[in-house]
Amino acid sequence: MLRNIGIRIRTNICNRCLKNIGIERLYHNPGSYSSQELTNQKHKKSLFHLRLSTNNQRLISFWGASTANDWSKAISDAEKIVGYPTSFMSLRCLLSDELSNIAVQMRKLVGTKHPLLKTARGFVYDGKHTMQTRGLVVLLISKAAVGTEVPSEQELIAGIHPKQRQLAEISEMIYTANLIHKGVIDVSDMSAEDGCQKDLEFGNKMAVLSGDFLLASASMGLAELHNTKVVEIVSGAIGDLMRAEFTELCSPRGTPSLTSSTTYQDWETQTFLSSGSLLAKCCQSTLELAGHCKEMQDKAFQYGKHLAFAHQLHEDLQPFTHPTDENGDQISLGSAPVILHYSKPENKPHLNRLLDSHVDQKKLRDTILSGTAVEETKRHCKENGKIAINAIESFPSSEAKTALENMINAVTNNSR
Amino acid sequence: MTTFDLAYCNSCRSCYTKSFQTPSQSTKYYARQHKLLSRKFESDHSHSLSTATTQTQHLDPFELVRSDLQTLSDDIKQELHPYEKELASVSQYHFDGKGKSFRPMIAMLMAKAVNTHNEKPLELSRNQRKCAMIAEMIHTSSLVHDDVIDDSDTRRGKPSIHKNWGERKAILGGDYIMAMASMALARMGNERIVLAYSQILEDLVKGEFMQLGSKEDENERFAHYLKKTFKKTASLIANSCKSVAILAESTEETIEMAYQYGRNVGIAFQLVDDLLDFTSCENVMGKPTAADLKLGLATAPVLFAAQQHPSLNEMIMRRFSQPGDVAAARQYVAKSDGVEQTRYLATQHCNAAIQNIRTFKHSIEQDALVTVTSKVINRLK
Repeated sequence: MLRNIGIRIRTNICNRCLKNIGIERLYHNPGSYSSQELTNQKHKKSLFHLRLSTNNQRLISFWGASTANDWSKAISDAEKIVGYPTSFMSLRCLLSDELSNIAVQMRKLVGTKHPLLKTARGFVYDGKHTMQTRGLVVLLISKAAVGTEVPSEQELIAGIHPKQRQLAEISEMIYTANLIHKGVIDVSDMSAEDGCQKDLEFGNKMAVLSGDFLLASASMGLAELHNTKVVEIVSGAIGDLMRAEFTELCSPRGTPSLTSSTTYQDWETQTFLSSGSLLAKCCQSTLELAGHCKEMQDKAFQYGKHLAFAHQLHEDLQPFTHPTDENGDQISLGSAPVILHYSKPENKPHLNRLLDSHVDQKKLRDTILSGTAVEETKRHCKENGKIAINAIESFPSSEAKTALENMINAVTNNSR
Repeated sequence: MTTFDLAYCNSCRSCYTKSFQTPSQSTKYYARQHKLLSRKFESDHSHSLSTATTQTQHLDPFELVRSDLQTLSDDIKQELHPYEKELASVSQYHFDGKGKSFRPMIAMLMAKAVNTHNEKPLELSRNQRKCAMIAEMIHTSSLVHDDVIDDSDTRRGKPSIHKNWGERKAILGGDYIMAMASMALARMGNERIVLAYSQILEDLVKGEFMQLGSKEDENERFAHYLKKTFKKTASLIANSCKSVAILAESTEETIEMAYQYGRNVGIAFQLVDDLLDFTSCENVMGKPTAADLKLGLATAPVLFAAQQHPSLNEMIMRRFSQPGDVAAARQYVAKSDGVEQTRYLATQHCNAAIQNIRTFKHSIEQDALVTVTSKVINRLK
């Protein structure tokens, strides 16, 4: 089934999972990639998801190619700490009857431009879309909070309660479901070259069903946690993900649009709704599950929220700090540097000219680099990183806490 | 369990409820049941539904909960007030008070019946009202998604959401309704009820998946269809009946009876829906139908007809995809007694539902729930 749609299992799957479910390992020449090569510019693009280094240790970059090194090191260190294959969720869902069915049907979409194809491929293949980071952060913060006040009778494995692991999986399911549903297309807007209408409608059908399946599984998983407070918090996060698609910063097709009244605050709202909320609320919930007090929960919430902000600012900076190569990052009109630039009174008059014409990426980039917006974005990034680190300051020293700090450093160091 | 046609009920349970799954009761069992059913149909057709309900026919079930239903749409809108205006419009679109409110009505009647049974104040508790509201929210949210999946242009007499806002926003709006329903649900603070409603979500989506595939084996096909019917329609009604019973601090037995009532009525409701898809055109009322066949779905009337006309099996397998299949299938159904058998099966479920609700102490709401069953059978006839 998996092979049918061209997903290569060797990507995000850990040894343990493969053994558990008895899938043949499909690694290509383990050991053929050294960690040295990872940093090699030439291999940067093609290797940014997952490769095995010489000692069979996995290195992953979830958040973009340009910082593969810092980020992948932070992640691979962190995964060892929680002792858990964070890729487990995608595998279990992929192997369910329902999604197997979808996978088989998906062949019909080959040759169309339906986004579901890309999402499915990215499910286990592509590193760009941060597949499993939420789950990892949830586990780390669970572990980092141990020793503060957790009731001792709880059975913890590697410092983490089974319910917290379940929550980590749920956070990934919700994220993936949202990714899939955001890829539903408005059929009437499509042209013939995107694929024939019947195929695109079929793609939508598959996208709706697989997203619904993940959401229903997440809902069942939440109910099984036997904590209605957590159900309420996480349901709120799902609602926020939906709200993110209806904001004024979000145009009808889900791409950002700018007006003369757009401010940095709008950017913050958008970022909170689209990624901060889920991360923050899952961090909060995992401490609720372990019986931590409101104050600790709030600290976890702050960490999650500001990690998401720092990370998004870091992402928004990439087109400016790392000049684009052939298919490099496009500058999004909803990104922080653009908003910061055009929200200045002296630049506002020029906004209409930008919006009226087709966006010339190079010109836009030069315009923004000529001002102070990029520096301001870097400052915001650093500030958010600082708030996140301060939020967990009172947590006892542990390798989990260090890992959480390293993740922040991996995104803020780049904002020098 | 009721004494009514016990063998049949066992069979149902084996395919509808996880906890009672008995793999040994296989397809052959179903085939046998079906023959039994056909024979019963001839000899036993007058079986008691009409007599059981005539005495309470004067009661309008809607009337008993009218005041509760009146505020339903407004209550739902209270839950759906995002800052984003467009999302507010999309998510509130169908809550204009014009829906049938069939599901909340049953939940409310059941709540009152079970309150009386437990010698509690008759009126709905705040949380019981919430249950009815959440049932309607979940139902609507799934309709929004179904309309995209089936590409239906109208819903409740107006353009469906995706016709106005596009497929993408319809789906995201549907998700939003679902998320807000979950939030309202969680705020009640009852873990068991959260579980019951999560089961509904799981059943709805699994039912939708089941609709994608069909079974090779003819006998399995009917069990597959009934299981799908339970998941797609009856689970919501059954679990909301169960939830209002839980909130009334009922015994496990009472909770089970409430659940079974909802399950039976739910299945009957869908069976009648499926047969109306064939009969409403014959009666020359309303628009041309056979919507299910056009979607490639084989429902009870077709499955029964295939027993008498085996050439239908091939069409079922190819999901009526060849030109002329839909018309031919309709003819076969008309020639067979598929529609009557479907109605009879629905009647049986309604009779079982009556038996379920009759285990409660008497109340007018109980009578109304009996009336509901006959309304389910006789609607749009």
